[in-house]
Amino acid sequence: MFKLNLKIALRNLWKNKGFSLINIGGLAIGLTCSLMLLLYVNYEWSFDKQLKNFDKIYLAKLNLKFNGNIATTGAVPYKLTGAVMEEIPGIKRASRFYVHHGSKLFSKGENKFKLKSLYVDPSFIQILRYNFLYGNEGSALSKPNSLILTASTAKKLFGTENPIGKSVKWDNLKELQVTGVIEDLPKNQSIQFEILQPWAFFEQIDSSVKTSGWGSIDCAALFELKDNASVEQINGLLKNFVVNKEPELKSYIYEPFLFPLSKIHLYSQFENGKVVGGGIDQVKLFAFLALCVLLVACINYMNLSTARSEKRAREVGVRKALGSSRQTIMGQFILESLMLSLFSMMIAFALVEVSLPYFNNLLAVTIEINYSSYLFWTVIIGLILITGLLAGSYPAFYLSSFIPVKVLKGFKGSIGTLSFRRALVVLQFSLSVCMIISAIVVYNQIQFLKNRPLGFDQNNMVQLDLEGAFKDPSKTEIFKKELLQAGAIVAASEFASPFTEGGTITGDVSWPGKPATDRSIINYRSTGFAFTNTIGAKVLAGRDFSPQFSADTNTSVLLNESAVKLMNLKKPVGTIIHWDNEPLKIVGVIQDYFSERLGKIGEPTLFYYNVKTSGVLLLRLNPNQSLTTSIEQIKRSTQKFNSAYPAEITFVSEGMQTKLQSERLLSILSNVFGGFAIFISCLGLLGLALYMAEQRSKEISIRKVLGAGLSDILVLLNKDFMKLVVIANVIAIPIAYILMTNWLKKYDYKIDVNYLPFLLAVVASILIALLTVSLQTFKVAKANAVDALKYE
Amino acid sequence: MIELKNIEKYYANKGVKSYILRHVTTSIKQGEFVSIMGPSGAGKSTLLNILGMLEEATYGEYHFMGEDVTAMNERKRIELYRNHIGFVFQAYHLIDEMTVAENIEAPLLYKKIPGAERKSRIADVLDRFNMVAKKDLFPNQLSGGQQQLVGIARALVAQPSIILADEPTGNLQSAQSEQIMDLFRKLNQEENITILQVTHSEKNAQFGNRILTIEDGVIKEDVSVSK
Repeated sequence: MFKLNLKIALRNLWKNKGFSLINIGGLAIGLTCSLMLLLYVNYEWSFDKQLKNFDKIYLAKLNLKFNGNIATTGAVPYKLTGAVMEEIPGIKRASRFYVHHGSKLFSKGENKFKLKSLYVDPSFIQILRYNFLYGNEGSALSKPNSLILTASTAKKLFGTENPIGKSVKWDNLKELQVTGVIEDLPKNQSIQFEILQPWAFFEQIDSSVKTSGWGSIDCAALFELKDNASVEQINGLLKNFVVNKEPELKSYIYEPFLFPLSKIHLYSQFENGKVVGGGIDQVKLFAFLALCVLLVACINYMNLSTARSEKRAREVGVRKALGSSRQTIMGQFILESLMLSLFSMMIAFALVEVSLPYFNNLLAVTIEINYSSYLFWTVIIGLILITGLLAGSYPAFYLSSFIPVKVLKGFKGSIGTLSFRRALVVLQFSLSVCMIISAIVVYNQIQFLKNRPLGFDQNNMVQLDLEGAFKDPSKTEIFKKELLQAGAIVAASEFASPFTEGGTITGDVSWPGKPATDRSIINYRSTGFAFTNTIGAKVLAGRDFSPQFSADTNTSVLLNESAVKLMNLKKPVGTIIHWDNEPLKIVGVIQDYFSERLGKIGEPTLFYYNVKTSGVLLLRLNPNQSLTTSIEQIKRSTQKFNSAYPAEITFVSEGMQTKLQSERLLSILSNVFGGFAIFISCLGLLGLALYMAEQRSKEISIRKVLGAGLSDILVLLNKDFMKLVVIANVIAIPIAYILMTNWLKKYDYKIDVNYLPFLLAVVASILIALLTVSLQTFKVAKANAVDALKYE
Repeated sequence: MIELKNIEKYYANKGVKSYILRHVTTSIKQGEFVSIMGPSGAGKSTLLNILGMLEEATYGEYHFMGEDVTAMNERKRIELYRNHIGFVFQAYHLIDEMTVAENIEAPLLYKKIPGAERKSRIADVLDRFNMVAKKDLFPNQLSGGQQQLVGIARALVAQPSIILADEPTGNLQSAQSEQIMDLFRKLNQEENITILQVTHSEKNAQFGNRILTIEDGVIKEDVSVSK
């Protein structure tokens, strides 16, 4: 029986090639979309879960008061891990790790690379259990000058030879010895580095590390709990841990707690000291999107299959008259849909493999299909079964319910089932319209953020790290002069840290009229002369730092607009403020600029002159000279002054590009998958149009005979479909509105949600639907009336 | 009223022409009641469809009220039969989703007749056919004879000059059949409506005043019925 059913199913698919094509195509696209999204969701979900003991590993987080709010940071005092290990039971291992801003130079002969290194305690490699290719866990970090390289770093520096015991020069200053090589880190791991160095080395190069107090928070900390330890208990003990050591911190709250490492990637947003979400929202959204697209594709199949019921009705009637049971007939239809879903999956599979590189490129991720994973195959088979059963169940129930005598007498499908299918189409279209509206709003918001004035000029602006010879400010000064004379740049200024990344904060600033309870935290950045000129920011009052004023190098500060607002200063220029109890005079006010975060309101920032502590040099390129010439000149000069280091010049505009990554991701995905959903929905509508046209062919013919013109028939048929699309719009619009206003909440600067995206979605959906339906109805309306009426 | 000259209809299949109608030449005058007879597959219905402009002849000339139908475009043709032709089918072909009154109203809608006049005409027709009580029923709530009465009422409401009926009584019992034929005769005699019916029944053919017999696509006989 099964074999016969299979044969008939295959024959049916082959006989109705057009129908099968639409059906398989729709399902394949739906499956491709949901597979892709599921792969992405799985990728995000898998972060840090490849560690064998991931459920025992925790990162320290710290709640502290920050400008009136409770902020949660991953930075803790240097002393925390040692004290916790001694005083709190249940902890197996703990390790600090310090993440540099930027990267450091590591060189082996002529092989010079700027690499990202972490300073870690020896227990770090025991907690995370890296696989050592050379060396071993026990001794790799025992001496201060030890180095652990990742495999690809080792290859960069040493080629194929065994690097153990060989020396590498650090920052062109110190010779260090390679003591271990570990396998490359998986991309879906939160803690990423190219080199590990022992904490002891960090203490050697920075003497303040050992003496730093409880109040300064600079490093991250990793904890591994004992098997029977309860994290709630430990967190209870941790709550007042720091404050007990140093009671004056009480007013800043300073409450550390442990947070699972495996959650850090997806739950990165904290509010009032509690986790509120993060990437997980996006992951949930995409999982939901995957489900929706699949649902839309399944609905499609149901619609198209039942649309063909007229053609199959006779077959069902004859089979039943011959004595077939309802179950056999249902079995056959389910089998047919399973076959279709299998074919679709094969196509979807190929499509996923082909488009994965583009997808990876688009989203800047590395998703691979893991063919050896049971989970993968389970999901694939599960998807085939679910899709086949979901899509096939309704046609099977419906078609097998025909009563043979009626069917054979020329029965047409009943009306009740039509309303069910109408509801399905409304659902399909509601989902699609929702996606279109969201895509438009997200796109608009991105454009809005992109086009908002940044407060500085990101074009023609580059930065390079101040390292090696450039650590000497007088050399940097000569370097700047040379570039100015050569015409490569028009202005240059030192700056604390890479311009598009975050920086340091302080709570130790006081100003006239500051309330005693005010615990405001202010950003501070060191700069050189001509800072505003270099970045192209506007001076609202006073002046920039200048060599003409000798006080500028030690007692002058600049504030930004937000800082002035925070301090509530009526006449900021000339006001004396205190920072660490040192009196400083405000000489200028800069308009807020946004180089670190987009879409957020300006943060209060203080600028002071200090070229020694500045980490980068900002250069404003000469706009009258070609970019490549200027860059060439800068590179040449860099090589001349600082030959030990590779000349790495980065464009500020490139750094700005990465700021809207997650928004761009959302926009791309909602656009692409919304588009597909609409496409599949249209196939569904086509199916319904086919069905209706077939259902009503007699009626249409009668109407034609009675004198209805082509336009009358078209209006008659299309009216029904337009009603569905309009209902779908009515359902989708408020939902999309609520979703989008919610999404926009997280931006301080956002677009107003106006009627335009909605209007666009309504018009687009109606137009597309009209086109699709007319394709079919036109054919029916043009058909010869006699053909339908002749043989009754 | 109707002039047919050398009407041919054939289907070409792989070069072999299978003829439905051959050299049909005849004319029908206003006020005639013509019955078309012949065995199954002789081409009766095709001839009726061509007369009703539902099908086109492959070859030949067809003049309807002095106008050349073969040269007409579709809109013109629809215009023509909207105003002059009423159809009655063997299977009634009422629209199942519409009530009796709505079914009768349909052709008037396509003729763009104003609402008030539509109402009065429907009321008039319903009254004439004694179906006022049934006007809100759906076709499947009526007997076959009643359904055919609605079919005729629908054909008549547009005030056609000719009614084309394809075996109008083929699905009916003899009593109902007689009733319908009586109605046709009355319409023909009292209102001078031209009636063309296809029928198998000798008895029904006697209601008319002329019988065309078709065999294998050719008119074999054309006789007047003597009363």
